[in-house]
Amino acid sequence: MFIAKSIQAEHKDLIHDVAYDFHGRRMATCSSDQHVKIWDLVDGEWRCSARYKVHVGSVWRVNWAHPEFGQVIATCSFDRTTAVWEELPGDAGEKGQWVKRGNLVDSRTSVTDVEFAPKHLGLQLATCSADGVVRIYEAPDVMNLSQWTLQHDIPCKLSCSCVSWNPSRVHPPMIAVGSDDNNPSAGGKVHIFEYNDNTSRKWLKAETIMTVTDAVRDVAFSPNLGRSYHLLAIASKNVTIVTLKPLATKKEPSATACTKFEIHQVAQFEDHQSQVWRLSWNVTGSILASSGDDGCVRLWKANYLGNWGCISVLKGDGSAPQQSLTEKSNKSNLGSSAGTSVENNSGGARYLHLGPVAQANHVPWH
Amino acid sequence: MHHTILEGPLNCLALNRDCSQVVVAGRNVFKIFSIEDQEFQEKVNLRVGRNINLNYSASDVAWNPIQDHLLASAATNGAVVVWDLNRVSRSKQEHVFNNVHKRFVNKVVFHVHESDMLLSGSQDGYMKLFDLRKADVSSSFHGRDGVKDIQYNPSHYFTFAAALENGNIQIWDMRNTSRWERQFTAHNGPVFSLDWHTDEKMWIATAGRDRMIKQQNRVRNTHTVQTIASVAKIKWRPQRKFHISSCSLLLDFSVNVWDIRRPYVPFASFNEHKDCVTGISWKQNNPHVFFSSSKDSTLYQHMFRDATRPANDANPVGISISVHGSVAYASSDKLNSSTTPRSNSYSRLPAVWKRTPERSEQFMMVTSLLNEFEIINSAEAVEDFCMSWFIRSAREYKLSGRSMAEVCEHNAKLADSMKRHQIAQTWRMLKLLYCGKSKKAPPSPVATAINNPKTEVTKDTDAERTEKQEVKKEEKPDTSTVGHGIKNHSDFFFGDGDVDQAVYEYDSHRNMQDGQEWSLPSEAFQPRHEIKETSQPLDPLSENTKGESPSSVNESELNSKRNEQVALSAQSGIKQEILLTPPFNSHLSPWHFTTLVRDMLQSYAEKGDVQTAVTAIIVLGDRIKPHLDELHIEQWFMSYIDLLGRFEMWTRATEIIRMSGHPAVGALNQLSTTIHTHCSQCSKPLLRSGWLCDRCNGQLNVCSVCHLPVRGLYAWCQGCSHGGHLHHIRDWLKTYQHCPTGCGHLCEYT
Repeated sequence: MFIAKSIQAEHKDLIHDVAYDFHGRRMATCSSDQHVKIWDLVDGEWRCSARYKVHVGSVWRVNWAHPEFGQVIATCSFDRTTAVWEELPGDAGEKGQWVKRGNLVDSRTSVTDVEFAPKHLGLQLATCSADGVVRIYEAPDVMNLSQWTLQHDIPCKLSCSCVSWNPSRVHPPMIAVGSDDNNPSAGGKVHIFEYNDNTSRKWLKAETIMTVTDAVRDVAFSPNLGRSYHLLAIASKNVTIVTLKPLATKKEPSATACTKFEIHQVAQFEDHQSQVWRLSWNVTGSILASSGDDGCVRLWKANYLGNWGCISVLKGDGSAPQQSLTEKSNKSNLGSSAGTSVENNSGGARYLHLGPVAQANHVPWH
Repeated sequence: MHHTILEGPLNCLALNRDCSQVVVAGRNVFKIFSIEDQEFQEKVNLRVGRNINLNYSASDVAWNPIQDHLLASAATNGAVVVWDLNRVSRSKQEHVFNNVHKRFVNKVVFHVHESDMLLSGSQDGYMKLFDLRKADVSSSFHGRDGVKDIQYNPSHYFTFAAALENGNIQIWDMRNTSRWERQFTAHNGPVFSLDWHTDEKMWIATAGRDRMIKQQNRVRNTHTVQTIASVAKIKWRPQRKFHISSCSLLLDFSVNVWDIRRPYVPFASFNEHKDCVTGISWKQNNPHVFFSSSKDSTLYQHMFRDATRPANDANPVGISISVHGSVAYASSDKLNSSTTPRSNSYSRLPAVWKRTPERSEQFMMVTSLLNEFEIINSAEAVEDFCMSWFIRSAREYKLSGRSMAEVCEHNAKLADSMKRHQIAQTWRMLKLLYCGKSKKAPPSPVATAINNPKTEVTKDTDAERTEKQEVKKEEKPDTSTVGHGIKNHSDFFFGDGDVDQAVYEYDSHRNMQDGQEWSLPSEAFQPRHEIKETSQPLDPLSENTKGESPSSVNESELNSKRNEQVALSAQSGIKQEILLTPPFNSHLSPWHFTTLVRDMLQSYAEKGDVQTAVTAIIVLGDRIKPHLDELHIEQWFMSYIDLLGRFEMWTRATEIIRMSGHPAVGALNQLSTTIHTHCSQCSKPLLRSGWLCDRCNGQLNVCSVCHLPVRGLYAWCQGCSHGGHLHHIRDWLKTYQHCPTGCGHLCEYT
């Protein structure tokens, strides 16, 4: 059972992103009102400990760095900049001041996503922007957050909406980039880039996930832990989960080419019936949360057969969340035909099947 | 939407009275186009004549609102030029006011109601009012700083407003040339543009280099829009009270239309231009069409329906899962309020209602709700979500210090208590596989059942082999529960019930075994007993010796021993009444369960349960390690240590590092282990380890309380470098606050 606890966010416009820190003790929210708020868990209550204006445009995303680097967040904005903020250690028991350390201004268009690299890659930052460029920054000296060098510039051709690092420590650095380009004929909207350390020292395109041709709003690699394959969730008009299994052809890493992957789509869900906006994995990568225009959070989990199914639906307005009662394991891999009969007896009658999914831009409440 | 490309960058544009023609001007361009449905048609090129000088370039242009043939332009050399389109000659230049302004003229504007009044504003700080009938300056206003923009109040005959370089706005009355009627500071830095609202008499919007658009209501600043770049031009959208369009001086090449009530997200955006937009002009009383000129040499006619809506591309939700399984969810209140009705009206809505008013209404006043979903009682399905099992297992698993059997049993019980039966079963299996011979193991039903040798010897060899096959299958948890997984996916630990039941069943039957023939139930776990059983009863002596060291039985040992015993039993076959013949023994090939255990660990890791894999490796130690990939082991350990770090279980993580026995993992504990301190007597920073200070030769590790050298834990105040035995310092601080040495420092030990 989940209980909903409402938090008075008091942002003056839409909140675009929420992010827990590494330990789940702090939370950052960012909004179109150009502010970021930092929340601390005090006696089970979330208290806003800092609130500051970070940009002059909508702040799209906020991301925490690994605490090894200090209390550091990165934000990206419509104002074409990415900012890195650090909390100065305060006196004992007191929260410190947040100061802007880095301001990355290379983008010519709105910066749509920012994410810190996994810890073992050092202090790196990937940003992507609406003009279709993914940029990798690095702070060579982790003690000096004000110095960021642009390491790589990866052109993607399509306008990018989201980027995600592969957290695996055994695999070479890898990112997935999603595009919100609306034109289905432009091909696959999720590209996998891999850093080739041996020869070129460049990021090269390893794969394109051809099955997803609708606008992609979010991509998320699951925490890797001990897995030999990579799990990637894609938010488009539906939720898609694919596995990327590196094809171990030879033992020695290939000198020039990127790793080839065996890409397998393990699940696709149409349950949101609308644009899916955000994804988040739990800490072990066994449960995926997705949310879309239907105002619900849906939790997905795989059973022993590797079939993914919905385990819970949470309502965004805090009304009683409901547990999905009937199992839906047969729903995975059904693709677009899902939701015809199974939908009706699951989760009550609240979410009726609407027939063919209409276009997201017909949604009238924007 | 259509456009035309000109010869050079455009600085400005102006529409004529009935919006049928447009004039655009720049450094190298001065042309009039007529506005057609699908295109612009060139009507007049004003840049003609014998000597084309700077008077033919314009920084601003104005079309007379009364007399359609009169135009005025602000030349870049400080002249103001009046053009008459009715002139018969090729050159339409009517009059040039030279030497009126000493510097660049920024703006020319005709009076709204008087066709003969022309006002100009210049960088030299003066505004000049021209009377076109006299062709002379009639009045002069001194604004005391560069004038960037001026505009007549459309609803007040004598009033005009001027935007100044110093950030001030001045309201002038034309009848008073000596001093402005009112002045207020609107911006930080220059004000580039201002615009009177056409319907709201007292509303004036201003914009400047400080990237703000402000709407002033006579005295008060009521709305502020923060944009991403310096704002060059603003214009109110006709017939839309709160909408204002803007373009930027640099960086941003789009024309944005804002609703000043939602100042953060543009209501609409037009991104056609490739360079900065220099002029915006709305069609008279038509909120759907406007024209823009740009430095990219293009003149565009925009239709409002072509606009992109940034708000639609802004995601309305945010979601995050914490390590403890809480879900933070922020969503637009619009999504929530309209969830249910929307489902119904979804498909037919566009047909039934008009979209436009609804859209601008919907655009307004959007806020987000932020909720956190916490797990209260973990139901089966969300068990994985709430990581309490992980924390508890990490804390309470025993990994060393006792015999392997005890460790396994403890861990199994712990897993059982958290209803993780599969994990529990795994631990039990490990115990059976690797230390099944231990008599010291707590008498679990399975273990005791082993000790009854007579039962299973009866069965024939074929049966046994098939049993063995089954064992192999059952060993893998994935396949074993496949059948159940299909039936009920929410019960992830299915299958264990069966197993347990079978074990207990067997247990209950144990008492009757002695007397009667007992045929093996076709349950998977017995062959394992039987494997041990072949070795155990035959050689009680060796069993005892081996049994002393329960954790030492590895597989090869077991196998070799078994073979040995088999030979033995073949010789002393009389001992067993129903002992099978030697051919049976030859069938009993050594069972390589290590591969199965390896597969099992890998399958746990694949599922993300790296905890089980790592703890099992630690417990099994060298029994399993040689069979696993080094890289895998390292990856699992690192992941597990990372996970422990996320739950702030540092002590536990250190233990794991210590027990890993893996060089790369073990090295983690060896990083950054040095803290440089000060000498407690002379405060010299100590850069090397030793007993004496380099400077004062004093002993370094003397306890401040008992004055004896400290061996072991040394409590140390970071403020004054004094310290001593942990318990002494603790006792001292119970009664005193100051340092025991009397240095006067209020010591803090944290």
